[in-house]
Amino acid sequence: MKRLFALLVVVWLGLSVADRAVADDSFAAIAEEVNQKLVKLFGSGGFKGLASYGTGVLISRDGYILTVNSHILDTRDLRVHLYDGTRYNAKVIAREPVLDVALLQIEGGMRGVDIEHYFDVFQAAKRPILEPGTHVLAFSNLFQIATRDEPMSVQRGVIAAYSKLAGRIGIFEASYRGNVYVLDAITNNPGAGGGVITTRKGELIAMIGKELRNELTNTWINYAIPFSARAETTDKDGKKTETSILDLVTKKEKYKPLPEAPKVANQVFHGIVLVPNVVERTPPYVEEVIPGSPADKAKLRPDDLIVYIDGLPVQDINTFNTILANYVPRNEIKLEIQRGDKLITVSLTLERPIDKKK
Amino acid sequence: MNIRGMVLLLILAGPTLGQTVDPKVTLAEKKRVEVINKVKPSVVAVMARDGNGNLTGNGSGVLIDEEGYCLTNWHVTNAARSPLLKCGLPDGHIYDAVLVGLDRVGDVALIKLLPKNPGDKFPYAKMGDSDEVRAGDWSLAMGNPFSLATDFTPTVTFGLVSGVHRYQYPAGTLLEYTDCIQIDTSINPGNSGGPLFNMNGELIGINGRGSFEKRGRVNSGVGYAISINQIKNFLGHLRVGLETDHASLGASMESEGDDGGIARIVVKSLIESDARRRGLEVGDQILSFAGRPVTTVNQYKNVLGLYPKGWRMPLVFRRENEKREVLVRLMGVQRELMTDRPNAPPRPQPQPGGPPRPPAPKGPPPPSAKFYKFKEGGFSNYYFNEVAQNRVLDTLKKTSDFTTQHGDWTLKFSGKMLAGLGAGRNMTAMFLIKETGVADGKSPKILADIDGLDFPLEPLNVQERPDAFKDPPESGGFVLAIFLYRQLLAYGGKGFTREFHHGGVEPYYPPSNDENPDYSKIRVMAEVLRGKYAHVETRWYFALEDDKEGRWKKGHLIGFEVTPDKDEDPCEVCLSSYKDINGKQLPTNWFVRRGDRPYVDLKLDSLTAK
Repeated sequence: MKRLFALLVVVWLGLSVADRAVADDSFAAIAEEVNQKLVKLFGSGGFKGLASYGTGVLISRDGYILTVNSHILDTRDLRVHLYDGTRYNAKVIAREPVLDVALLQIEGGMRGVDIEHYFDVFQAAKRPILEPGTHVLAFSNLFQIATRDEPMSVQRGVIAAYSKLAGRIGIFEASYRGNVYVLDAITNNPGAGGGVITTRKGELIAMIGKELRNELTNTWINYAIPFSARAETTDKDGKKTETSILDLVTKKEKYKPLPEAPKVANQVFHGIVLVPNVVERTPPYVEEVIPGSPADKAKLRPDDLIVYIDGLPVQDINTFNTILANYVPRNEIKLEIQRGDKLITVSLTLERPIDKKK
Repeated sequence: MNIRGMVLLLILAGPTLGQTVDPKVTLAEKKRVEVINKVKPSVVAVMARDGNGNLTGNGSGVLIDEEGYCLTNWHVTNAARSPLLKCGLPDGHIYDAVLVGLDRVGDVALIKLLPKNPGDKFPYAKMGDSDEVRAGDWSLAMGNPFSLATDFTPTVTFGLVSGVHRYQYPAGTLLEYTDCIQIDTSINPGNSGGPLFNMNGELIGINGRGSFEKRGRVNSGVGYAISINQIKNFLGHLRVGLETDHASLGASMESEGDDGGIARIVVKSLIESDARRRGLEVGDQILSFAGRPVTTVNQYKNVLGLYPKGWRMPLVFRRENEKREVLVRLMGVQRELMTDRPNAPPRPQPQPGGPPRPPAPKGPPPPSAKFYKFKEGGFSNYYFNEVAQNRVLDTLKKTSDFTTQHGDWTLKFSGKMLAGLGAGRNMTAMFLIKETGVADGKSPKILADIDGLDFPLEPLNVQERPDAFKDPPESGGFVLAIFLYRQLLAYGGKGFTREFHHGGVEPYYPPSNDENPDYSKIRVMAEVLRGKYAHVETRWYFALEDDKEGRWKKGHLIGFEVTPDKDEDPCEVCLSSYKDINGKQLPTNWFVRRGDRPYVDLKLDSLTAK
């Protein structure tokens, strides 16, 4: 009995020490340590609404980096700034759209690189899932505040939920559908994707995801993908294939992305943003045209009303989506639109959705 | 109690069950509450008036001394559209206040609250050292976001410092946030101008800007505070009612550095400036500025943003294998404060709205009106400038009163020549100053005999040779300097024909025996009076404190400079070793230099004034 009592005392004291973290201690030392293991990424983008910068996490001595799978990687001139201000080029080794994760490597030339500070992603994947209510720290280069040797931004937050990011299409449109940490702090901003969530001791927990906006409520979700994340797809024959972040890290160049799932709606990119679908039969008015998109090339404008697609009447936004679900990239479609009191016919060539482009 | 009972109690008391909280947590909470209560009375709600003249919420501020001086944002006072303001304190009362100083580029304004009864003291916040703040530290932001509190009880938000030494590009205006503190502590509209505290309750910044673009003017997890250390550098200017300007070096920088290499910056281009006169050239690598190492353009801009125009700061640069350190006087980024041509048409104001004007008289003026005086030419409130001028001149008069001696003056010196062919030789100098010369019967006349050579000068004679203002050669204008010294002592501010004002606080670098001195160690802060006589600009440095080495006492004139030609280095006269001569305290050590070269080292043997 006495031994049990002693044990309990030890446990009790141990918990007290752990709880001290909620006191007003500074996290400056931890912020410095974590910052050394992160990189600033600079790639493609820079046009309307798309940031050309992001964050990555170093996971090996030879310069492998994990980040979110985003448009900034679509360039041959992907630049990396290390914590000490040194800069390098990086190349994309493998990408997994279903996990929304990409693996990069620093190009160190003949000498290669010798990275001193990096995270052990295998250990991070083994950590137990954190309970909602746990205090965490978030590190990223949001808004591109830092370049060269300027440190990442550090924010504090609380885990609000551990749940599936199964946002409906058009609501929280995410390619990754698995479990995520939802955070109470505003961690997901331009450039934050690929940053990390750590415990208050600086232990690696999860990767900050991309910006996700709910088109209906105009709210944003702050989430992070745990390094233990897994994903699977089922092909049209019903065969399941599974993958994980660790698979990607282990197989490197040999990694093969999951076979694409059977086509679902919105697998084509046209660049038309319609007004919010708020009522049952919302007329398909164009709210915005994404610059450089097929719709832009076809000179569509905001306030155009789409009346026919390839001769089929489009009464509302739901019909618009249903019709377009039958098309694949590179299909050409003919739109009849009402602009003011004129009926105009335009044609545009559909493209692959931005995130799925190779 | 048996042991089983104790175990049970222990479990119940354990933190896992949430029955009681760990004492350390309670303690931390208690400490936090204490800090908040301590600083709360210093938090100010700065108000504006709507179109109907009714008071509305606007921004926040913080009191920094018991006299009622309060820091806020320029954009907060600008929105009030009047230098006469109303402020609310957490005691629930509304106070009259007046605009004192402005820093548009840095987005800072100093205002002064008026006590309800003369002599009443205000609660205030203690300023901390923002260079000690680190990313990952906790912080408290206080203020009146969204005008939530009608009784002016400030809202408190608590969060982390996300980054320090941040540089934020001007957002479409001159407004530039340099070396600022980035926080995830919630900042919302109305928090502007309010204080950011560390967990000891020390003021470390003024909250001013958020990354609101994305979510429509509400907090997006990124806010910025102007560091209090930057504001401290401008405070001397703000207190005397100046509209301050930030600095530029007259050089633009670019980043260099190969792949895998450490970043560095080099001079890309250079305009006519003090930096160029000090020997800086295109292609030079900048190593440090104002004592801080700089390797990126952002770091360079951060340091530059910390200092007001006109300050001299050390710059270290490298050319090939040679490293050099020079003192550079910083240029301005806004328009020139002292207008060159009084008859020239007024230049367009670079800022929207122009300086705030007094409101159209509507009913009796508020009590703050008598603390406001409008004046063009770089003043936000000339009332405070006049008060400061008079204070400095009164001290000067107390120690050495020459205000009734407007007749002939004779000054005799002996010492050592330090420049030119005669360098190292002992020499004497004598100056005779006459109130009126003979050429036109109007201009004063100076007759100088320096080391056996005659240098006559009639500074107000339009026929005077331009070079006579710079005599003797290599001095930069020592003859003129002696004459202007008499003007200041005999006439005060009225001795300057074109312009006279208090120029705030600047660093002053007394002469050092060390050939490569540590500028941060020899530097003293001094109050500056600035006057313009004919086309000649002058600066007069007065000690803010007694010198530890006994060279001067508080209030003494410790140096002055005259600039006969704006494109050349001024003549600088460094004064020390004050002695009592005929009941008047006068400096006996006169060290004269120009640029980085010494000219002469003199002892004052006699001064007779009639």
